[in-house]
Amino acid sequence: MDLSQMNSAEQAHMSKIIEKKQMQDFMRMYSNLVDRCFNACCNDFTSKALSGKEEQCVLNCADKFLKHSERVGARFAEHNADAMSATGQK
Amino acid sequence: MSFLGRGSSTPAGGVNHERVDMAVQELDMITDIFNKLVSSCHTKCIGTRYAEGDLNKGESVCVDRCVAKFFEVNKKVGEKLQSMGGAAAGGGGLPSL
Repeated sequence: MDLSQMNSAEQAHMSKIIEKKQMQDFMRMYSNLVDRCFNACCNDFTSKALSGKEEQCVLNCADKFLKHSERVGARFAEHNADAMSATGQK
Repeated sequence: MSFLGRGSSTPAGGVNHERVDMAVQELDMITDIFNKLVSSCHTKCIGTRYAEGDLNKGESVCVDRCVAKFFEVNKKVGEKLQSMGGAAAGGGGLPSL
């Protein structure tokens, strides 16, 4: 996305919108992650407390998801950079 | 601030809503694609045992290929839609990812 073509008022407006969207996106990611890790780790309801094993599973699950999303982000950025330079060369 | 900022040219200091809306739409689309990419490749590549918190080698390779393949599918579907003339349905043309 090219924000450099915008004037300062538009850029300020955009950064407010982006900030709001980042917050929304974070909340969405949070609830998604809870759902994912809960479903992956918690299948035994003989106790209402998380067992040590379940807790470790949840921590690993969250950790792994963040690393996964980081890696996807890196590949995504690489792809975008490639696509950008390809259109620039035309 | 200014209601005259609707046109394609904007007086300095005004906000061109059309231009901002376009940027927001693009942002929404990219965010949506990225989130779907993260979700799909996680489901397809990451095991559910969670014995450790790091991506193992197989998972890492899978993620890289998954992302590449997703983009290829994105391109193929885009080309297909375009050839069918249905690309105008969204009004925005093809996502250039």
